[in-house]
Amino acid sequence: MPLRRLLLTAAIGCWSAVWSLPAAALDDPVARARVTRLDNGLVVVTLEDPSTPVVSFQMWVKVGSRDEAGYTGLAHLFEHMMFNGSKHLGPEQHAELINARGGEVNAYTSNDQTVFHDDVSRETLPLVIDLEYERLAYLDISAKTLDRERQVVLEERRLRTEDSPMGRLYETLFATVWTALPYRTPVVGWRSDVEKATAEVCRKFFSTYYAPNNIVVVITGDFDANDALTRIERTLGKLRPSESIPRNPTEEPEQRGERRAIVHFDVNGPLLAAGWHAPATGSPDGEPLDVLSVILSDGRSSRLYRSLVHDAEVALSAAGGYWEFDAAGAFVAIATVRPGMKIDDVERRFFAEIERVRREPVSEAELDKAKRQIEVGLVNGLGTSHALAERIGSDFLAFGRIRPLDERLARIHAVTAADVQRVAQKYLVDDQRSVVHLVAPDPEQPAKGRGGT
Amino acid sequence: MSRAHIATLVALGAALGLGCAMFAQKPAWELPAPLAADRPIAREGALTRAQLPNGLLVLVHEDRRLPRVSIALAVPRGAAIEAPADAGTVSFMAELLERGAGKRDALAFAETVDALGATFSASADWDTVDLGIAGLSRDFDALLDLFADAALRPRFDAREAQRARAALLAALARAKDDPATLAAWQATRALYGAHRFALPVAGTEETAARLDAKRARAYHEKLFVPNGAIASVTGDVDAAAVIAALTARFGSWPAGAVVDPGPPPPEQAPAQRTIVVVDRPDLAQARIVVGHEGISRTADDRIAVSIFNLIIGGSGFSSRLMGALRGNEEGLTYGVSSAYSLRRAPGPYFASTFTRVEKARRALDVLLAELERARSDPPGEQELSWARTLATGSFAMGLETSDAVTAALVDLDVYGLPEDSLDTYRTRVRAVTPADMAAVARAHLHPERVAIVLVGPAKAIVPQLEGLGPVQVVQP
Repeated sequence: MPLRRLLLTAAIGCWSAVWSLPAAALDDPVARARVTRLDNGLVVVTLEDPSTPVVSFQMWVKVGSRDEAGYTGLAHLFEHMMFNGSKHLGPEQHAELINARGGEVNAYTSNDQTVFHDDVSRETLPLVIDLEYERLAYLDISAKTLDRERQVVLEERRLRTEDSPMGRLYETLFATVWTALPYRTPVVGWRSDVEKATAEVCRKFFSTYYAPNNIVVVITGDFDANDALTRIERTLGKLRPSESIPRNPTEEPEQRGERRAIVHFDVNGPLLAAGWHAPATGSPDGEPLDVLSVILSDGRSSRLYRSLVHDAEVALSAAGGYWEFDAAGAFVAIATVRPGMKIDDVERRFFAEIERVRREPVSEAELDKAKRQIEVGLVNGLGTSHALAERIGSDFLAFGRIRPLDERLARIHAVTAADVQRVAQKYLVDDQRSVVHLVAPDPEQPAKGRGGT
Repeated sequence: MSRAHIATLVALGAALGLGCAMFAQKPAWELPAPLAADRPIAREGALTRAQLPNGLLVLVHEDRRLPRVSIALAVPRGAAIEAPADAGTVSFMAELLERGAGKRDALAFAETVDALGATFSASADWDTVDLGIAGLSRDFDALLDLFADAALRPRFDAREAQRARAALLAALARAKDDPATLAAWQATRALYGAHRFALPVAGTEETAARLDAKRARAYHEKLFVPNGAIASVTGDVDAAAVIAALTARFGSWPAGAVVDPGPPPPEQAPAQRTIVVVDRPDLAQARIVVGHEGISRTADDRIAVSIFNLIIGGSGFSSRLMGALRGNEEGLTYGVSSAYSLRRAPGPYFASTFTRVEKARRALDVLLAELERARSDPPGEQELSWARTLATGSFAMGLETSDAVTAALVDLDVYGLPEDSLDTYRTRVRAVTPADMAAVARAHLHPERVAIVLVGPAKAIVPQLEGLGPVQVVQP
């Protein structure tokens, strides 16, 4: 293993003398994963590990809010409908059956994918496979359950966005960073679209995107892969593939000048956000941006914590990080302003730190520290069946393969101070940024639609 | 894929004798659930216990699967020992442990932790102060040195204490921006009045204003004694070497008196129905919390209570409350849950949810009706049957990582519970009966005298509460 790492690193040509190999080389369990492609295009990745009591079953569907046309929030609303009944089972029965056997079941929707995940004991895996087939083959979307579920989703939207200062901040930030790409719309959707989406629209969405050739199933943990594959072939293997899966053709036009937005919300602590355009996932600039994120944000010795939280005492937290999506990326900065402190002062100090990484290279000590923090994070990510399945699913959807840990580590360790400065200069440009202030409204000017005492 | 298409495929498959779809044999949900085997909670020989002469308990959990290690110390006293006027001091003391210790000031300590890629944490809860550091196992000695400095030699630097207090005051003011936090704070106030449990672990803006380095140091001296404390090390380590290393760092820590756990809360809290509305005119959603006193971590019927709560409101999608509120035709909420907060002294029981403002009364009525039904129609064998499987299944999965197993074992020591409680847990769960459910419902659920807290626009909420009793409106 160390030899392989050395060769990989040498091939990239940036062996760093200060980087020492771990005493015990990392064994990447994911290297033992087995990939099976069924005739209908379904990809099944299995990774057996009898040392854990958990089987994680995850179904990764390559559809997210990015694929929506017409009704925003449809991918997410539809994810909810996947739990609301099929030919042989009533609403919520799917989850109840798994709960009743001690398993955990849930799902989430993001910009690029929808993930259905179950953590169960090995005895329950056949049930999970059968239930997955049942809803993919026989989903029943009735107007009545949709109307109930849309109310649930609207409550979720109120919870996470409308009544949440941070939710409001992010919603406005992404709608400002992107003017054209569908990443500008919230995953939960705009309220009016969630209110109006119809059962017919949901059915069309289902038949278009929930096809076996648009799905990756990942199973990790204590189970028998041959048994599972046999069962999957007999069930999910019968689903018909889709001939074509449409993708949104929109590209983001060039940004010409800084954009600013203000959100009024009744808060004690204002919030600051900034976003810059960054490359889509898989870019060679990704690792330098990851290292930059850590140098700015991770731990109490990070630059932003020291400057804004510890020394100036103007913020409660401050962080900047690289967000990668399939078709674009963003470098996102967030600071929580202390009550009574001026948001403009926090912004000035925040951007001074950004200016510093553009102006001068980071120190070798900071670089080494960041690499170590990322490495330990990768090791911690190997600890559970769920996390392993997540890594496999995410890699497979984005890259069509699993990236070995060695490859990821070699790329991280190849990053130089010059690389970090280069990506900062390339992406964190002043007239390419979007800035959002979330502040309490001016009490002298009552805003439309607000209550008040 | 259209349903017509599938029907065609099924028919075709059947005609060709392919045993199409899964209906060549019954789907798994029509078959009896297979019994899950009870695995041991840790690998054979992985656990080693020891006690240093000064009384410090040591637990080592060897797990060589990953090159990492976590080190933890649990001091078995926490915020519950504070007088209400001192609320937040223990939590503040914990925050100061990494703000300068041994030969390092705050920034040097942070630099050293981060350079190892490690994570350090120190926090207070009602019954404990918990310290932890985690990193790569090859850095074990360096990690343990930092850890011992933070536990035994914190500097309590006056300037850092000022910074920590300013940050705490800002955080407490900002926490009011979160409706869930406002609701939780108001609900504990409504229950406990003058008892320490009325205030958050971190204290209030009023009590935090009084905190300084001197008070923090005094609490550290009082709480940090080795007798009764538990040091644990989990990961890619050798038990004998770990015990030697702990002895070298903690062996000379002098034993002392363990402080009194603090006065118990009132037996009935609240004594009668109390209704409070926290006015947040800008919110689209009403937060609803109802609650009263619960049970202690060591109560004899704690297993039955936890199973009862799973069925009523503690099991997510499958709970009665979720069915009644989210599953009803109106889709009244996205989430609802209930929990008994288990502490050394009986902590609160709360059920909470949220709904659009205009449905606040409707959701509250449904919630209270379900609690009432939990008493009039307590869970029988059918509900109990799945709850037992859920509890034993999620118990096993909750112990997937060796860190989780260690934490659960340390928790037993903190509360003086039998060392084999995890091994016997599943057997005890399977022994819970419908009669136990009825007994729990009678003893530990009191919908007629709950405290009711709603957060949202008072103007729209208060008129909905007519007939429930006197309503007090407070500002955040």
